[in-house]
Amino acid sequence: MYRYDEFDAAFVKERTAQFSDQVARRLTGELNEDQFRPLRLMNGLYLQLHAYMLRIAVPYGTMNSRQMHMLAHIARTYDRGYGHFTTRQNIQFNWPKLRDIPKILEDLASVEMHAIQTSGNCIRNITTDQFAGATADEIIDPRPVAEILRQWSSLHPEFSYLPRKFKIAMTGSPSDRAAIRFHDIGLQATTNDLGEIGWQVWVGGGLGRTPMIAKMISGFVPHEHLLAYLESVLRVYNRYGRRDNKYKARIKILVHEEGIDSIRQQVDEEFAHVKGGVLHLPQAELDRITKYFAEPDYALVNEGHVDVAREKILNPPYGRWLEHNLHGHRQPGYVSVTVSLKPVGGAPGDATDTQIDVVADLAERFSHDELRVTHEQNLVLPHVKITDLPAIYAKLVEHGLAEGNAGQITDMICCPGLDFCALANARSIPLAQEISRKFGSPERQAEIGDLKIKISGCINACGHHHVAHIGILGVEKKGTELYQITVGGDATEQAAIGDILGHGFVVEDVPDAIERLVDAYIARRESPAETFIDAFRRIGKEPFKEALYGNA
Amino acid sequence: MEILTGNELMSGATVYLDRDGRWVEELQAARVFLKEEAEARDAALAATKKTLRVVSLEVETVTLRDGLIYPDRIRERIRAEGPTAPRFDRQHLDEDGHVSI
Repeated sequence: MYRYDEFDAAFVKERTAQFSDQVARRLTGELNEDQFRPLRLMNGLYLQLHAYMLRIAVPYGTMNSRQMHMLAHIARTYDRGYGHFTTRQNIQFNWPKLRDIPKILEDLASVEMHAIQTSGNCIRNITTDQFAGATADEIIDPRPVAEILRQWSSLHPEFSYLPRKFKIAMTGSPSDRAAIRFHDIGLQATTNDLGEIGWQVWVGGGLGRTPMIAKMISGFVPHEHLLAYLESVLRVYNRYGRRDNKYKARIKILVHEEGIDSIRQQVDEEFAHVKGGVLHLPQAELDRITKYFAEPDYALVNEGHVDVAREKILNPPYGRWLEHNLHGHRQPGYVSVTVSLKPVGGAPGDATDTQIDVVADLAERFSHDELRVTHEQNLVLPHVKITDLPAIYAKLVEHGLAEGNAGQITDMICCPGLDFCALANARSIPLAQEISRKFGSPERQAEIGDLKIKISGCINACGHHHVAHIGILGVEKKGTELYQITVGGDATEQAAIGDILGHGFVVEDVPDAIERLVDAYIARRESPAETFIDAFRRIGKEPFKEALYGNA
Repeated sequence: MEILTGNELMSGATVYLDRDGRWVEELQAARVFLKEEAEARDAALAATKKTLRVVSLEVETVTLRDGLIYPDRIRERIRAEGPTAPRFDRQHLDEDGHVSI
């Protein structure tokens, strides 16, 4: 893992001291709220419905056990004993008090973490594949380049006041597990005709009130020119992005209105000026950063196979966990383990301080001191010996973390919704809990197979409902929470935006509506091997519309 | 009918202006401003802003149901009670978090 150098340590320490002084001045009344608000937002501190919310950056979703233990400490000491992992691979605390924020930031800085640029119109945390550096299907580990982008984008003076927030996601694998086509910039590792590895650059994707699939702006940018190329994209956006209208200020609108060819031409012109200058990335520097992400000291193990079928007979819950929560590793005898934060009937993405400590301990003992946060609001132990799986599972069972449902219908993405969020129009979490309970039986989940439900409590789409196989959007109409249902979205390399099927449902009718969609899928699938999204692509939305609304 | 609400600076707790000019936690203690009391409402808002201690000030419309204040918006009903799921107690004021105008 990357370790802060002197520059990193200095800027985090300086920013912590600076914000501590700003908090003190706010508490004495030297600063008023209009002056203080932009300062607190720059440091990840929001004011939500019931209290402040502090959003802490987890760079490219990677942490070590010491950092994870610190999050548990913060949850226990300054909050209410839990944290909420987000779709940006970050963590949020919902109940901190203003006077405690400087102490929290000092604690974070002591483990090389901070909350800078988790809000505001700047480049946010870079996100990536939760299996980066471990998965067998990877062209390149994206984390060294993600770290270089973190350094480039942190406190970037030219890009601290962009027209709107700016999100970059990247993947080193052809299988997109980071939803890169729904980010302002998406980077996908690729090879050119000479076999050299570089980056496809996608631009103008996004969710929110105007969902857009990103368009490819360059098919190949070599590592050495990536910073210069991204700087060029950001410059064009910074120059022409719609500052006059908040709702049209994201780069997706600029790309949509100007056209990708026009944007590409302008970026190329800028790139011609920037290329080869101070942003040139020498191979030596890439190699230096890459050393921080060197492969762990793997053991040579003989056992390279998990007999899931046998375990499903001997211990069905363990068998289900093995079936769904393991991901193939590049190292023989190893796997990556998804730790589900979606217990049946629970609040998606929440973990108690004890659970956070437990996962930290497991990472230290069994995963070379590494863990990941996924954009689907789960945790991952990336480098686990197959022979250690029983011990890990036993510990997870003990602490309510052993749900074998990764990728299943109960593994939902869900925003905080109107229970917490100042922007929301409708609640999300109680609906997720009801759906989880309705479909929570192992037999029903096994019958349904892979199916992604995602729930947003407002059109800002933090719950990614547009890219769900079944998406749910909460709205408020005449004082009532209503939920619109979409089908057919897909966040992977087969990117698609879901179609709205019709009028919304009151909350108590939504679980039954979902059941009608599920039953329609089961009745029409060619075989149990055909997943919901594959069946949707084959038969279209009409059968699902009919299932919800009849033939009328 | 309207009430005034906001969040107390230090704790972030949801608070309401009561009939004695204090910012308190209880929705049912809130002063209800009638349509003809707009001037008093605006004066209370201005006085509150001067304290620098209550932020995200909002004027919320309410009705009275069986003598109880009932906010029109779902959002405000949740703010008054705390999150419904997972169920948490609402944020409370610290000892030094009490504000008056």
